[in-house]
Amino acid sequence: MSQTTQSPADAPSDEAVAKERGARAALWRKGLQQGLAFGTLVVLLLFFSIASNNFFTWSNISGILLATAVIGILALGTTFVITTGGIDLSIGTGMTLAAVMTGIVAVNLGLPLIFGVLAGIATGALMGLINGINVAYLKLPPFIATLAMMMVAQGLALVISGVRPIYFSGVPGFKDIALGTLIPSLPNAVLIMFILAAVAYFLLSKTVFGRYTVAIGSNEEATRLSGVNTNRWLVTIYTVAGVFTGIAGVVLAARLDSAQPQLGVGYELQAIAAVIIGGTSLLGGRGSIVGTLIGALIMSVLINGLRIMSIQTEWQNVVVGVVIAIAVFADSLRNRRGL
Amino acid sequence: MTAALLEVEGISKSFPGVRALHEVQFSLHSGEVLVLVGENGAGKSTLMKILSGIYQRDTGSIRVDGQEVEIPGPAAAQALGISIIHQEMNLMPDLSVAQNIYIGREPRKGPFLDERGLNRKAQQLLDDLGIKLDAKQRVGDLTVAKQQMVEIAKALSFDARVLIMDEPTSALTDTEVETLIGLIESLKAKGTGIVYISHRMEELKRLADRVTVLRDGEYIGTLERDEIDVPTIIEMMVGRHLDEGARPKASEHLRDEVVLRVTGLSTRQLLRDVSFELHRGEILGFAGLMGAGRTETARAIIGADPRSAGTIEVNGKQVSIKQPADAVRHGIGYLSEDRKRLGLMLEQSVTFNTALASMGTFTGPLGVVQQGKARTTAERYVKDLRTRTPSTEQVVKLLSGGNQQKVVIAKWLARDCDILIFDEPTRGIDVGAKEEIYRLLQKLAAEGKSIIVISSELPEVLRLAHRIVVMANGRVTGTLANEDASQAKIMEFATHLVADEQGAA
Amino acid sequence: MRFSKRTALVAGAATFALALAGCSGGGAPATSGEPEAGGDGETLQIALVSKGFQHQFWQAVRTGAEEAAEELGVEVTFEGPAAETEIDAQLQMLQAAIDRGPDAIGYAALDPQACIPLYEAAESAGIPIVEFDAGCESEYGQNLAATDSMAAGALAAQNMAELIGGEGQVGIVGHSQINSTGVERRDGFVEEIEANYPDIEIVDIQYGDGDHLRSADIAKAMIAAHPDLVGLYGTNEGSAIGIVNAVTELGLPAGELTIVGFDSGAAQVDAIRNGVMAGAITQDPIGIGRTVVENAVAAINGEELDDFTDTGSYWYDAENLEDPEIAAVLYE
Repeated sequence: MSQTTQSPADAPSDEAVAKERGARAALWRKGLQQGLAFGTLVVLLLFFSIASNNFFTWSNISGILLATAVIGILALGTTFVITTGGIDLSIGTGMTLAAVMTGIVAVNLGLPLIFGVLAGIATGALMGLINGINVAYLKLPPFIATLAMMMVAQGLALVISGVRPIYFSGVPGFKDIALGTLIPSLPNAVLIMFILAAVAYFLLSKTVFGRYTVAIGSNEEATRLSGVNTNRWLVTIYTVAGVFTGIAGVVLAARLDSAQPQLGVGYELQAIAAVIIGGTSLLGGRGSIVGTLIGALIMSVLINGLRIMSIQTEWQNVVVGVVIAIAVFADSLRNRRGL
Repeated sequence: MTAALLEVEGISKSFPGVRALHEVQFSLHSGEVLVLVGENGAGKSTLMKILSGIYQRDTGSIRVDGQEVEIPGPAAAQALGISIIHQEMNLMPDLSVAQNIYIGREPRKGPFLDERGLNRKAQQLLDDLGIKLDAKQRVGDLTVAKQQMVEIAKALSFDARVLIMDEPTSALTDTEVETLIGLIESLKAKGTGIVYISHRMEELKRLADRVTVLRDGEYIGTLERDEIDVPTIIEMMVGRHLDEGARPKASEHLRDEVVLRVTGLSTRQLLRDVSFELHRGEILGFAGLMGAGRTETARAIIGADPRSAGTIEVNGKQVSIKQPADAVRHGIGYLSEDRKRLGLMLEQSVTFNTALASMGTFTGPLGVVQQGKARTTAERYVKDLRTRTPSTEQVVKLLSGGNQQKVVIAKWLARDCDILIFDEPTRGIDVGAKEEIYRLLQKLAAEGKSIIVISSELPEVLRLAHRIVVMANGRVTGTLANEDASQAKIMEFATHLVADEQGAA
Repeated sequence: MRFSKRTALVAGAATFALALAGCSGGGAPATSGEPEAGGDGETLQIALVSKGFQHQFWQAVRTGAEEAAEELGVEVTFEGPAAETEIDAQLQMLQAAIDRGPDAIGYAALDPQACIPLYEAAESAGIPIVEFDAGCESEYGQNLAATDSMAAGALAAQNMAELIGGEGQVGIVGHSQINSTGVERRDGFVEEIEANYPDIEIVDIQYGDGDHLRSADIAKAMIAAHPDLVGLYGTNEGSAIGIVNAVTELGLPAGELTIVGFDSGAAQVDAIRNGVMAGAITQDPIGIGRTVVENAVAAINGEELDDFTDTGSYWYDAENLEDPEIAAVLYE
């Protein structure tokens, strides 16, 4: 009672309460982001292992990993775009166009394989570049810009291939890009996915590129006012995502030993779902590469497990849909807690 | 005398249909604080944006150390040593304090970020500035005041020779203001020139070496240190005399009819047993420190946040309010402190915003919106509230803060709300317009509306409220009649030094 | 300034598109026969609205139709939606075809009911419709030229049963649980097994939409879930290739698992040649294309047509791959 009325902020309880609350909120958020996805994956693995004797065999696990590879690589790339608060719908058909370009160069033009691979990756990068320019400089909403690119890529893939699959049977070694085993009994496609995940992890959390990706998603205008050339970085981010799309296209073609021009629609949504399940916020500002990898694994473990249990295809879709809804709900919970 | 550190002359800037600045000038010497004042819409923000390279001037010249310069972008301003703390929060909530401060200038090790170096550097800066913050904390988890301190640290981290602060104290508590003033003093000593934009006359008196006044985009005049006098400045700003100090008395209004009675209101997070009464025609002030639970009380009443206990009576009848729509149905309107995010559709017109909460009134058969009727209503409120807008079709984004606030008020009046809860009604609004808002609230109260005003500015609460509810740590620590209240007394309750709860005086 | 930047970009994008198109193997023309034939009396116009055009199968139908058109001196257009789920897009194509007013329309219905109102429109416009692959539940359509899919499915079952010695577990990778060919090829197979081969158990049926990748993952899961599996049946090209990919990826020796496919295409023919796949059922898509154009001309001339023409289905394997009558119905 004898204290003076000044220095209100020194009132200890106020400060302490706010601090504690902030810390708790941060913990809760982090716990959800990393823990929920990983916990879900573990629970799914346990559940299916108990439900079917044939689930937890190396052959099946390696099958799950291989099934994750293409979607996983797409998801890794698009994690950057989603972290900026954008979206990339062109990754599915873009991947197909990259696969077709690889086929054109390596099969139809008969150039050495490495040029085919580079052509595929360059195609992805070029599409990403155009997406980036459209979003950053022409100010198209990402949804529209990449929807347009999705359709352009789909059309071009058909036109260029002459609406026919391109087979790589005459290109020795191509299949090994996806199915060879540099590490015994681990398909290279899976190895590529893990390497790219490591690269993406370093890009997002250790480099300026990643820092600006998060900053733009968090508050683009503030980032720009801080003297960061946000437009140029947006173009870079979309281009990097395009490179991942291109690699996914090469891996896809290698796994099928052919470029199937009609494939690809719907893959973008699976990849986006994997990113969201992994805890990257659709609103931007929060991205997790480890989460994306886990999210992609959750998707394929879930689908594989349901298939192993001979669940009808229709019900598989229902279950996957419910899982996505729960993941997005968790995402919105996080946003409600944080600011 | 040596060349001024920063000198602007004859600056004009027009936007389509609007002349924002006309022949504006000021000069700033190193080691001095120039306070720039003017009502919202006077052109201060435009001028600042020109100096920070966001806008380009139409005419005029900018000289740094006597050398004429061009400022084509934010990076160029930084290169010239001009740093700005913007009025709007310009932070990335998902990044840490350190990451925010050094965004765009991250220390690197080869291709990778040097996170440890970054944190060390930022912590050093914060410590030097006497700001008590952990550099590794996530900005989104900080209070608004702490975020403001991050903004300041960020601006200072540029080794700026010219520091422009646009209302830096609007969200700060008194101690934090003291910290900031201490910072400014030490910067002055180092020779930094500071342009300080503020509406707080107390700060102006303490800080200003000179004051430059703008009005309607024009340069009005500059007062040297010994000429500085608050009434003179206010007159220069608004061109008319203001009556401050007129305080209402609790005994002035009808006190029998209780329109809103809140009893035992609690939430899981913060509020504990909050009770109070609001009478017809009364303005009830809510005072307290940041985090005391004032905004939370309002949100809990209107059903925006879940309650864990408590009852709400409107006009003597207990009501069930589970969501904001229920509150509106019972005539309770809440005007958020964050007008731009929660109160207005910035991209839409005055008419659109005015009609938004009461679309039922403006909807004809088949759900067709009666645009003409909505416009007539909007025009009436524009006239009643003296909203300064070229037309009701003007996009709200282009109005000044005070006029935006009036549009929000019009929205709730159009909805026939008898109970209006204003959360920081004059945040970001300049002195002249503040007085206008005060008069408007008083007029509404006199007409029979019941009003709650949540405010962090004690003079504002004393100026407006018949009675004052003081909160601390989620509890009501005191209720004072205006004639019994003083700033010191309110602070006592707000810091929870007085434990006994007084009933309504 | 801004405008010129945008213009430059559009130009750039166009250049990109052209450059890519330049690499193309050359898109096949959408129409054939005599170009610019002029008036109605001169050359008959026949509009074919197919279920798709990307798939090899439809390209073969188109080849057959164009061959027949050349021989009969008529002009055909051939179009179809991008995916066999796009019922709506296909109906718009049919509507557009009616609006153009050709002498006859050939139609392969994606949905047997949605087409009925358009058939009425064609009837009022006096345009005869002949059907191929799948019919519409309207009285107006004439002769359906198609494979009897139930019979084709049964043929697959008989060959599967023979190859696995009449006993064991088999699985099916279907391409659709909705559209009629998917349903009938599955049901024909299932009914034949249930009726005549009591020692064969169908342990699982899953659907991969004919997507090579998804079908491969489904087949792998099936093989993992049922270690005693002896045979897998894929109901279209994509499903069958998916099974082949699964077996290759798992490194199973060729022939350990009996794979029965459907349709042809280069990859499937290769798989049969090198023994990974036991054999497959082929339809005669070229024959379907020929038949529908011949029927259209007959309908224009007012001839009476049968309700159904079974264009046939054939079993082929490494043995008879080179036989002329089989080679004729296979497509790359």
